[in-house]
Amino acid sequence: MNLNDNPIFITQRRLTHRAGVLAPIFIAALIGLSLLAGLIAYRADPNDFHFNSLQEAGKVFYGWTIGVEILVLVIGGFSRISNSLANERKAGLWDSNRLTPLKPCQLVTGYWLGSPLREFYMAAILAGTGLVIVLLAKLSITLWLGTQILIFSTALFFGLIAVLIGMIFQRPQGGVILLVLFFLFQSFSFAMPKFVLTNFLLPVYGIANSFMDSDNSGNDYSIRNWGGLPQIFGLPINPILLSLGLQLLVGIFLWRAAIRKTANPFQPVMLRWEAVAIFGILLVAQHGLIWGIWHGQFPEIQPWTGRPKFYESEPLLSVVHCGTILLAIIILAAASPQPETVRVTALRLGVKNLGAIFAGSAVSLAVALAAIVAVILFSQCAFSFGGSWEIYIIAVGNLLSFFLIFSLLLEFCRLRHRRRALGFVALWLFILCVLPFILAGVFTNAAIGKLSLLSPGVVALANPNDDNLNYLLGIVAGHFGIVVLLFINWERQWKQLLVKAV
Amino acid sequence: MSNPLLTIEHLRVDFPEVVAVNDLTLTVSSGDVCGLIGPNGAGKTTTMRAISGLQECTRGSVKVGGHELASEPGELKRQLGFMPDFCPTYDQLTASEFLDHFARAYDVPNRAKRIEECLELTWLKEKTNALCEELSRGMKQRLVLAKTLLPDPKVLLLDEPASGLDPLGRIELRKILLQLREAGKAVLISSHILTELSGFCNTAAIMERGKLVMFGTIAELGQKMGRRQMSVKWRADGGKPMEILKNANVKNLEATNLGATFDFDGDANTLDELLKTLVVQDVRVSEWRGIGDDLEQIFLQSGAKELM
Repeated sequence: MNLNDNPIFITQRRLTHRAGVLAPIFIAALIGLSLLAGLIAYRADPNDFHFNSLQEAGKVFYGWTIGVEILVLVIGGFSRISNSLANERKAGLWDSNRLTPLKPCQLVTGYWLGSPLREFYMAAILAGTGLVIVLLAKLSITLWLGTQILIFSTALFFGLIAVLIGMIFQRPQGGVILLVLFFLFQSFSFAMPKFVLTNFLLPVYGIANSFMDSDNSGNDYSIRNWGGLPQIFGLPINPILLSLGLQLLVGIFLWRAAIRKTANPFQPVMLRWEAVAIFGILLVAQHGLIWGIWHGQFPEIQPWTGRPKFYESEPLLSVVHCGTILLAIIILAAASPQPETVRVTALRLGVKNLGAIFAGSAVSLAVALAAIVAVILFSQCAFSFGGSWEIYIIAVGNLLSFFLIFSLLLEFCRLRHRRRALGFVALWLFILCVLPFILAGVFTNAAIGKLSLLSPGVVALANPNDDNLNYLLGIVAGHFGIVVLLFINWERQWKQLLVKAV
Repeated sequence: MSNPLLTIEHLRVDFPEVVAVNDLTLTVSSGDVCGLIGPNGAGKTTTMRAISGLQECTRGSVKVGGHELASEPGELKRQLGFMPDFCPTYDQLTASEFLDHFARAYDVPNRAKRIEECLELTWLKEKTNALCEELSRGMKQRLVLAKTLLPDPKVLLLDEPASGLDPLGRIELRKILLQLREAGKAVLISSHILTELSGFCNTAAIMERGKLVMFGTIAELGQKMGRRQMSVKWRADGGKPMEILKNANVKNLEATNLGATFDFDGDANTLDELLKTLVVQDVRVSEWRGIGDDLEQIFLQSGAKELM
């Protein structure tokens, strides 16, 4: 079925057109034409501007054009999709549509491509204007082509996330705020753009690199940071292809999740194998990007021409460690089953043993994720393991204890506190992760800060020559004590729930 | 033997802390209009949502037109029309565009003609090009009914279909339901207005706290209740009906204009015998029926704790 036969798409198009598209199109045209006029003005009288060349002026004006395009298409499109889906869900239209014989893929496609039509129109106008700017400034057409491909692929990628958010959350505005916060925090990674995965998942590096490569202009700093090809385990790869590949891989899982939730909203967002696969793919890609720094001989930095001095002092692996924790939290939270679902499943299947509960819970997944990290992190110290095994053990142990504590805590709080679970999880995470840092500040004792759940791995990876590795090992062992305590209470709560499953 | 189009067996739906539907078994056959009755929270809407697949079932099976919900949800959807108790419409679409959306989704042949038919059937013809947001609640209710009828489903689930309708609308709804019954559809309908249901339901299922308290034809249920209130009318020129009734096993006998009302404790066969006696003894019976609110009586006598 093509889009013009898809009733959801047709209806979304009708709704968009009825709400009016001319005004947004005029706004986009006005912005695009203003920027184009700027370039024309430069051509007419270059002395009025501070650009060194027509190409530089063209890049600036084109840069502004795609900036607005990204804002409209990625943020605006995301907001539009998640809002329209959430609103239709509240109104009961989502259920009405699900009751029709339409296939889940038709439903998802209709909302995914139909809801943000207004934003697509605006982006098309801006893209057209951008093309004129590129041609007038005598820039390479590949600059336009590469950036436009990346912008549209990113819009589709975030559109799929928006579909899921619209399906799951009652208030999709939260998703938009999260997206904006993500973009803001993302900017911190601009200090090391070639080594951070998010710069490729979002096509920041690909777009910036297109501007660099087109005529090699720009200062030394920006060329060092944004020029050249990123490497995956030493293999250079085109950043546009890397971005497209990553978005495609993750997008496949997002698509599957959207289809599954549409077919049956009671299904989990992520199947366990998908959680493992997505975690593995992202982690392999991230470690592949930074592999060139140590060549498997962490913590000895390897000579590498072209690497800025900045990276020699930067504790990049500890940053990756924090990113791994964040990613695992998202995956574990998404994969953790709701107690009610487990109870109903136990009722349906008549399986009431804790083994089945453990197999389906986020706790066993936490172990699997930690095992994946252990394997991938090993790649960074495979050739220097004799000297770095303690750091490795601390980092992996820290991740395992963190993953276990988080998943046990989440499920324990859901079972014990139900609707207030999220608040209690946040409270306990604050106590375990943040409070030690506050106390360390109050008592001016850095050792207290190392008690935090976050600390051992980060400290060990950031200061590999620290003499206090045994202290960190002891802290990790202490964290496993918390795991045991939590496990006992977690098990008790599940047993109580299973008793009710009659 | 009628053809069962909707079969529910041992259906159970769990909510946190409560079993919303517990071990529900019922069948609605072709040509049956089954009233689903029960107090608030009895599980009527949950049952309908579970049948349509919108609510996850813990146990049990649902079959629509022979297609199992668990294994053939796609086929089941084609045979099922569900009208929820609220009116989900696209406010910025016209009535005909709204129906066009669903006609395309169901791949209805001769779309335009069928849309026109359904708009006419739900007396919304003059609102064809009106935006949904401009329609009153009752009109939206009718539009959603039109949407439900659009693909000509074999089984219809109507959750409080009359709740937003004015008296005229209710009369028209009754006509539509009687047409559907005659067309051999299986209809499961819940309503607070039991007198409305009495007009067209030939079977009823009474639910309380998720359980099916009673299920059967109206006559069977009346029989189970033991006492039925009857009304009889006759022509002026025949027999001695009041004497016959006094001699029969009836209570609270009251004469009306060329007729009488009475309570009857016996079973359906004895009641039939009484009618036969009247006829044999030259009483020209012109009307013989259970008094209007049969379902209301049955419901009140069924022991359901709270009136809807």
